[in-house]
Amino acid sequence: MADPAHEVWAAAAPLWGWAVESARWGWQNLDDPVGPLLAEHVLLSYASVLIGLVLAVPLGVLSVRYRVVYPPVLSGVNALYAIPSLALFFLLLPYTAFSPWTAIIPLALYTLAILVPNVVDGLNQVPDHVRQAAAAMGFSPLRRLLQVELPVAVPVIIAGLRVAAVATISMVSVASLVGLGGLGGVILTYGFARNFAAPVVVGITLSVALAFATDGLLVLAQRALTPWARDRGPARRGGRGLAVRRRATAAARAGEKGAL
Amino acid sequence: MITFEGVTKRYPDGTVAVDDLDLTVPSGHTTVLVGSSGSGKTTALRMINRMVEPTAGRVAIDGDDVRGQDPPVLRRSIGYVIQQAGLFPHRTVADNIATVPRLLGWSRRRARSRAGELLELVGLEPEHADRYPHQLSGGQQQRVGVARALAADPPILLMDEPFSAVDPVVRAGLQDELLRLQDELRKTVVFVTHDIDEAVKIGDSIAVLRPGGRLAQVDRPERLLADPADDFVEAFVGYDRGVRRLSFFPARDLPLRSDVIVTAGDTAADARDVARRAKEPWLLVVDSRRRPLGWVAAEALAAAADERDVADLDLVGYGHVFTVSTDSLRAALDAAVLSPAGRAVGVADDGTALGAVAQTELGAAIWAVGGDEHTGAVSRHG
Repeated sequence: MADPAHEVWAAAAPLWGWAVESARWGWQNLDDPVGPLLAEHVLLSYASVLIGLVLAVPLGVLSVRYRVVYPPVLSGVNALYAIPSLALFFLLLPYTAFSPWTAIIPLALYTLAILVPNVVDGLNQVPDHVRQAAAAMGFSPLRRLLQVELPVAVPVIIAGLRVAAVATISMVSVASLVGLGGLGGVILTYGFARNFAAPVVVGITLSVALAFATDGLLVLAQRALTPWARDRGPARRGGRGLAVRRRATAAARAGEKGAL
Repeated sequence: MITFEGVTKRYPDGTVAVDDLDLTVPSGHTTVLVGSSGSGKTTALRMINRMVEPTAGRVAIDGDDVRGQDPPVLRRSIGYVIQQAGLFPHRTVADNIATVPRLLGWSRRRARSRAGELLELVGLEPEHADRYPHQLSGGQQQRVGVARALAADPPILLMDEPFSAVDPVVRAGLQDELLRLQDELRKTVVFVTHDIDEAVKIGDSIAVLRPGGRLAQVDRPERLLADPADDFVEAFVGYDRGVRRLSFFPARDLPLRSDVIVTAGDTAADARDVARRAKEPWLLVVDSRRRPLGWVAAEALAAAADERDVADLDLVGYGHVFTVSTDSLRAALDAAVLSPAGRAVGVADDGTALGAVAQTELGAAIWAVGGDEHTGAVSRHG
C-alpha cells in the first residue's frame, strides 16, 4: 500500500533539488552577473517611479485646479499606458541608445497612469472646510498647496506609489530585450537563452523579493510621514475607502500591463 | 468698526446672495447675522475677509476698503471660525493654533508658547497640545478652532455657524464660553447663525436677513423680540418671542415671600399657624441648612396630627429653582410653570432658599416689564 506522505515527498524531492541548485547558482554568480543586475534593476525601477512622481504631482495639481484639464490628462496617461512597452523601448533606441534612459523614460511614463489619478484623488479628498479654513487663515495659494493640501493627500499618494513601484519592478525585466532589464537579463540571457532553469528561478525570486522589500519601505515611509493618519476614527474612512478603491483598480491595471 | 455700504453680491447665473446691504458692526461688540438658508448671511460674512468679493458697494474696516489689502495679508489680521472647525488633520493641536502666528513669521518657540496660552484660555488641558484633531471630541475641536482664530490676537473675529455641528448640551457650553471670552477680550465679533435663540444669547445686536439677501431689521436682541419690524421678522423670531424676551429682565426684583417657609423639625400645628397667617395654600419645607425639601399643601397639614414633623409629611417636589441674583424672569417663570405648587423657589447663590413667588405675582412683574421695555431691560442676560 502506497504511503501518501511518501508520495508527496517523492514528488517534492526534485523541486527541492532544483531550489538548492538555483540558490547555489545564484550565490556562485553573485559578483557577476546577479549582483550588478540586481543593482541595475533597483536603479531602473526606483528612478522611473521617482521621475513619475515628480511629473505626476504637478499634473495632478493642475488637474484639480483646472478641472477641464483632467479629462485630457487622464486620457493622455491612459493612452501612454496602452503602448506596448517593448515598442516604446525600441522607439527610443535611436535617441537614447543603450543608456538607462531607454528603460527609464517609458517606465516613468507608465507610472503616470497610476500616480496622476492618485494625486488627483488625494487632493480631492482634502475636506472642503480644511481648504476654506486654510484660505481664511491667510495661506497664499501656493503655501496652502504645499503646507496643507499635499500633506493631507500623502496617504493616498503613497497608496498609488506602492502600486506603481511593484508594477514597475515587474515591468523592468521586459527591458532586457534591449539589454537593460536588470534581473530580466538574468532570466533571459543566462536562463532561457541557455535553456538553464536556475537563473530563471533566481531572477524571479529576487524580483519578487525586491517588490516586497520596496513595498515595505513605502509602508514605513508612510508611517513616518503621516503620524496623524495612524489611528484615525471612522470620520475619515471616506478618504481611505477612496484610496483603497483606487489601489484596487490600479492593481488590476498593473496586472494587465505585467502580462504584456 | 466694520461697515457695509450698499453691498451687493450677484452671481453670474443671476442669483442675488446679498442685496444692497447697509450695516455697521461696532467695534468691541458681537453682531449676529441671522437668517434662513439663502439669506446671504455667510456671503456677507465672507466679504469682510475677501473670501467673497462684492459685485457692488464697499466693505470697510475702520474706514479702509478691504480691497486695499492683499487677501492673505488681510486674512491674517481677522480670526475665522467655521462650522466643522476646519482644523488641519495633519497638524497637532498646538501647531493648528500656531498657524497664523507662524504665517506672520513668529519664531517656532514664541508661536508654541502662545498656543499654550490659548489652550488654557479656551479651557483645554495642556496635554491636548500634542494630540491630532481627530483624537478630540467635536466640542474640543471647536474650542481649538476658536483658539486658532484668536492666536495672533486679531481685533476682528468672524464666526460662521461655529457651534451648529455639536449637540445641544455642548453647544450651550461653547456659547457660555464665548460670552466669557468676549467679556474678557472685547473683540469685534461677527457671528452667523440660523438659530434665533443662539443669536439672542450671543448678540449685542442682531441683523435679521431675509431670503434674497435683504436686511430686514437690525436691533438689540431685546428690542428685536419686543418690537419686530414686520411680519417676516416676527415669524422668524418665533411666536414665543414674548416669553423669550423675559431673558432680558432680572428676577432679583420679584416680590419673594419668605413667610411661607417652614423648617424641618417644626410641627404640623406650627405649620398650620404659618399657613393661616400667610393665607397661602402651600408652604415650602426646608432643611436645617435652609435648603428646599419640597412643598406641603395646607390640606395635608389640616389632616395631620399636631405633633407630626412637617418634614415627615407627604412633600410635593419643588421642581427646579431659580437663582435670585443672576437668573432672569424667564427662568423664574419656567420654575413656576414646572412646579406642582404653581410657585417658583428662589435661592441664593449658595442654594439656600430665600422665598417663593407665585405665578400671579410673576404675572404682575411680567406685565410691568411688558409696558416698560426701555427702562427694564438689562444689557445682557441679567
